[in-house]
Amino acid sequence: MKNPELFDHRPDPELGKALRAALEPSDHAAFVARVMANYDHALERATVPTWEVLASWFRPGVAAAIVALIAGFLFGRMVLNTGDTASIEMAMAPVEGPGLAALVTAPDPPDASVVFTSLVEPR
Amino acid sequence: MLSRGGAAAVTAMPAERDTPPPHASQPPGGGARIGTGDDPALVAQTLAGDRAAFGILVERYAAQARRVARAVLGDPDDADDAAQDGFLSALVKLVQYDSRRPFGPWLMRIVANAATDRRRRRNVRRAEPLDPALVGGGPRPDAAAVQSELGDRLRAALAELPERRQTAVVLFDVEGYSHAEIAGILRIPEGTVRSEVFHGRRRLRALLEDWKEQAK
Repeated sequence: MKNPELFDHRPDPELGKALRAALEPSDHAAFVARVMANYDHALERATVPTWEVLASWFRPGVAAAIVALIAGFLFGRMVLNTGDTASIEMAMAPVEGPGLAALVTAPDPPDASVVFTSLVEPR
Repeated sequence: MLSRGGAAAVTAMPAERDTPPPHASQPPGGGARIGTGDDPALVAQTLAGDRAAFGILVERYAAQARRVARAVLGDPDDADDAAQDGFLSALVKLVQYDSRRPFGPWLMRIVANAATDRRRRRNVRRAEPLDPALVGGGPRPDAAAVQSELGDRLRAALAELPERRQTAVVLFDVEGYSHAEIAGILRIPEGTVRSEVFHGRRRLRALLEDWKEQAK
């Protein structure tokens, strides 16, 4: 940069005065009073121990857990009732067909996902 | 942790000292700089639970904090909210203040951060220039009207600057902080501060010169 003003280390009094007037706040005493009115509240918020914060979340947390439990129970019951799976033995019965043959005759142990797929895929 | 066993209320706070003797680190011909000689003592008293001592610090830095916040936010109400957040945040963090360093830059960093946070929350990229009708409030003498118009235009021009540039110019030309102090406040290199101040001034100076030409 060739412009020497770039490194001017002196404040511009004229601009400073104009900006100061443009930004000058009003009602100084009211602002100070407002800040001081929140003095105690700010300190209270800052000095609340962590365990008290956690304790304040205990009841909502327990309520949320109960709701989640009930929802999970209802959902599970709905899934079990709507399915036409006869039994766990039937579900686990070996599958006939090329899928099973390929699984049994493979030289390497099958991947777990292959075994799972062979159990759940439609017959 | 800060003790709370201090005086009951802030009373008889000294008047704001906006034109004190220049600070040791103030650049020659600097802007109005607040006298800060007993700031560390006031901080120590506040930490000991003296509410009135904190009141004096608020009284002393309120105008500066509000101006800096307004430079960032534009809107005076938002600026006051941010300045208040800054003061109360500083109160809570007062134990972290290093009394070997000047209090003003430490506080202004907190205030500038509070203003920046509020601006982000507000999700507004550019501060709205004030409606001249709101600034008024009835007929006024010509000189005051002209001054008000200049204020509106300066605020609008300031609002168009990038946020860091706004703060840098105001801290340097209005509040009298040095480049090094502003670098500490904004957490940017000193050379960047010089550049920001220069580019910010260039825009504002041009506006000021235009206004002076028109006023002739």
